[in-house]
Amino acid sequence: MTEVIGVPRPRIDAPEKVTGATRYAADGWVHGLLHARLVLSTEAHALIRAIDVEAAREVPGVVAVLTAADLPTATDASDRTAEPLAREEVVFAGQPIAIVVAETEAAAEDGAELVAVELEPLDVVVDVEAAMAPGAPLARRPSEGAGGDLESIHAGVDHGEEDEPAEPLSANVLGRVRRSAGDVAAAFAVSAAVVEGTFRTPWVYQAYLEPQTATAWQEPNGTLVVSTSTQGSFVTRSELARAFGLPEDRIRVVAEPLGGAFGGKFALIEPLAAGAALALGRPVRLALTRTEDFLSMNPVSAQVTHLRIGALEDGTLTGLEARMIVDRGANAGWGLEGITSSLVAGPYRWQAHDVVGYGVLTNRFTFGAYRGPGAPAAAFALETLLDELAAALGLDPIELRLRNAVVEGDVAISGTPYATIGAVEVLERIREHPLWAARHELPEGEGVGIAVGHWPGGNEPAAAVCRVDKDGTMTIVTSAVDMSGVSTGFAAIAAATFGLEPEKVRVVLADTASGPYAGASGGSKVTYTVGTAVLRAAAAAREKLLAAASEELEIAPDDLEVVDGVVRAAGAPDRSITVAEIASKALRFGGRYEPIEGHGGSAQTSGAPSVAAHLAHVRVDRETGEVAVLRHVVAQDVGRALNPALVQGQMRGGVAQGVGWALYEELVHDEHGRLLTTSFMEYAIPNAERVPEIETLIVEVPAPDGPFGAKGIGEAPVVGAPAAIVNAVAAATGARLRELPMTPARVWSALHEQTR
Amino acid sequence: MIPAPFRYHRATSVEDALEALREPDSKALAGGMSLLPLMKLRIGRPELVVDLGRLELAGIERADGAYAIGALTTWDALSRVEELRGEGLEAIADCARGIGDLQVRNRGTIGGGLAHADPAADMPAVAVALGLELVARSAEGERTIAASDFFLGPFTTALAAGELVTAVRVPAPPPGSGSAYAKVEHPASGFALAGAAALVTPAGARVALTGIAGGPVPVADPEAGFGGIEVYGDRFAGEEYRRHLARVVVRRALERARARAEGRGS
Repeated sequence: MTEVIGVPRPRIDAPEKVTGATRYAADGWVHGLLHARLVLSTEAHALIRAIDVEAAREVPGVVAVLTAADLPTATDASDRTAEPLAREEVVFAGQPIAIVVAETEAAAEDGAELVAVELEPLDVVVDVEAAMAPGAPLARRPSEGAGGDLESIHAGVDHGEEDEPAEPLSANVLGRVRRSAGDVAAAFAVSAAVVEGTFRTPWVYQAYLEPQTATAWQEPNGTLVVSTSTQGSFVTRSELARAFGLPEDRIRVVAEPLGGAFGGKFALIEPLAAGAALALGRPVRLALTRTEDFLSMNPVSAQVTHLRIGALEDGTLTGLEARMIVDRGANAGWGLEGITSSLVAGPYRWQAHDVVGYGVLTNRFTFGAYRGPGAPAAAFALETLLDELAAALGLDPIELRLRNAVVEGDVAISGTPYATIGAVEVLERIREHPLWAARHELPEGEGVGIAVGHWPGGNEPAAAVCRVDKDGTMTIVTSAVDMSGVSTGFAAIAAATFGLEPEKVRVVLADTASGPYAGASGGSKVTYTVGTAVLRAAAAAREKLLAAASEELEIAPDDLEVVDGVVRAAGAPDRSITVAEIASKALRFGGRYEPIEGHGGSAQTSGAPSVAAHLAHVRVDRETGEVAVLRHVVAQDVGRALNPALVQGQMRGGVAQGVGWALYEELVHDEHGRLLTTSFMEYAIPNAERVPEIETLIVEVPAPDGPFGAKGIGEAPVVGAPAAIVNAVAAATGARLRELPMTPARVWSALHEQTR
Repeated sequence: MIPAPFRYHRATSVEDALEALREPDSKALAGGMSLLPLMKLRIGRPELVVDLGRLELAGIERADGAYAIGALTTWDALSRVEELRGEGLEAIADCARGIGDLQVRNRGTIGGGLAHADPAADMPAVAVALGLELVARSAEGERTIAASDFFLGPFTTALAAGELVTAVRVPAPPPGSGSAYAKVEHPASGFALAGAAALVTPAGARVALTGIAGGPVPVADPEAGFGGIEVYGDRFAGEEYRRHLARVVVRRALERARARAEGRGS
């Protein structure tokens, strides 16, 4: 019998991807296709006084220059779906103001540089803390309506209590979330040690390889079709329906193979391409350049976290007090304050806590999600202070964490009980690693740091269809977007459930017109939710198979087993019939059996958080402040590794992005709110030379409701990685950095302070 | 990312290139690693691009105690050339090896790079420290410009309009010399936050810095420091930090050059 679950296999789309054959969103062709280029705001906050499009219209090849008034939008809301082009007020530098549409990309670009926009500057809000003070200039004039329902995609955490502000705050503060229980002051009073600090993380870009791209056209029957690089086809369809006042059945969204997204591809570009196509009645493609993508899309929020924690002599954690400020940029719709204020408690037990999260408007981007949104910043603060607490108490840092790690049955500060959690297991696994034992015997300038990160995971109902063909192969149909190899996981789940070799399973990722419902790919939920639907669809098809085989073999279904595509009597394998034979008998004129097909759905309600523990080994050049990560070890509870190769890929990718958070990545504006880091010449990411050897330790604490025990694992491995590197730098040098990334200049300054 | 419209001419000979470059607003294209990005961002908007790619200007020759490096010799070729390994010329390969990434080193050329004169480029510091000379040709004839006279400021050189760098002359240092290049680079661009080239000969040491000012800066007396030099600062590396880095890379380059001169280092 072919072992399926737990066996590493290549991604089913690997050959086409590594040979460059995959057709991404910018590669398809539509007859009569026009190309679009954006005109972006050069001011961070301004009123549009005039847009002169005449010179651009005269460029040969330019078909149209569209402004907000030309798009057939249907609402007055001022979020980016409803207002793809700024109407009157510009709220960040890089906001799209006009679209030039032309027969060629070159003509569109020639036209775009001739569009003259007259802007009347308004007060620019770039300092998130100053923006909160009463009387501060407003980042956006007060208005009605902010739409969208994107937050629920990302994490299964509640939004806390909407607390009545007891403090005077400016109207820039759009969100205020408070979570509290117990008496924090009393908890600190009995503590043997209390530590605190203020921690800053910057705006960070998702840096997907494929810039955002969408192509839109109308079918002869009027249906709007959008072929796009997106994480969610159904949510994009709903957003387009809202933007243009169209019924959902008049919109078809086709999610093309995704060239990376990491949380950043949710219905931002589609309204621009669709608006232009609807306005002109011709197919329009908008494929952003890298610089346009940097300027106009939606990186993740900067955060400021004031955190204070305490513990008793024996290391028992007592109180947690946090004030967390999230820079939403100009995103009035939602903020990360709900998620981050929940995650700052970490996977630990607290006697009392008082956490307040603020979502504040500024004139920087409109924020979006990025792999574990709000979590790396929270873990950076907490895991740094846990190390300081351990030092103050003379305890081993892993021991301190183990004493307080949550176990099954504990309740998170969000109020959600942990049904399954492997915090203790990953900490024990990392403690056994030789690197931890050797940490005191390293050369001068080197150090090892430990940190933990977790992600609660999200849920959303989903369905899948399973079909068996006459040749005995299977097709799984879902509408999930494959962001991280999930379809290879679907094939394994279906094969193992049905009794087929995984090579015989095809996975079709359908569009919104033809596939069963699946939510967006985000929140580490696809394998947990859609995978469960796939399992049930395969099980339903298997029932059809056994019913037919039972008649053919004259054996009761319960006495049959399916092994590698053969149905046979359990215990008497010579009495058998192949899946192909049964399917052939069903799929023909006059056939006697129902097609071997099944439909499965899931509506998960339990959470299956994933937790990862990290060891980072760094070397610090004390003279220049440069930090090199020499080695990184990550132990993650994944529930069950359906395909260990894919799981390890997620763990390595998370760590690599954590190296970026720790050392390199930072979007920087000038004091006027204009972006200074507009290309990879200014914005550093961890390239192949800078990502160290990453050792992956898979820990399996099964999720009761996950397919074969699997948990959602994509986001957890990034969360604790930056904090581990911060703690390693502290171990190497004694310097504790409170701001990410730890650039050479910041590290040098911190070391310089020590010797002053 | 599409350049503004321009005309293109593929030069068939140096004379042909020089003739074409008489046109105002023309630009010579060598490896294209600096010119093409500027054109794609529409910061550079030449009317005419004269492609030197087919000219036979690559390679290294030795004559009269000096080397002549063809202007179209790539960074990658420079980092591998055996002739430049000894005799105090090690800094050239040190430097070439650390420029950009492999794709850039496969295309970018020494002539194009020096003529571009990016203030944070690496090779100008080596050119000044090692006393390189640039051979410039124009329709009027050929002249030789010392590196110390060549760099006038950011993206500005002593080249006249219509003049083309065809070769770089490398005087062979006396026996018992060693050289080195050391830098701390920006993690995104790879350009030097501070870079130092040092040549140590039996007669003494010569050092030049890059990345800290508008062009390569000779350091008269490295032991005395360089307090008089105006150091540039930006949000990634402020003036004080950059000045500190300059001290560090000067010391590292000198130590390595000295070790090589004494036959110790590699």
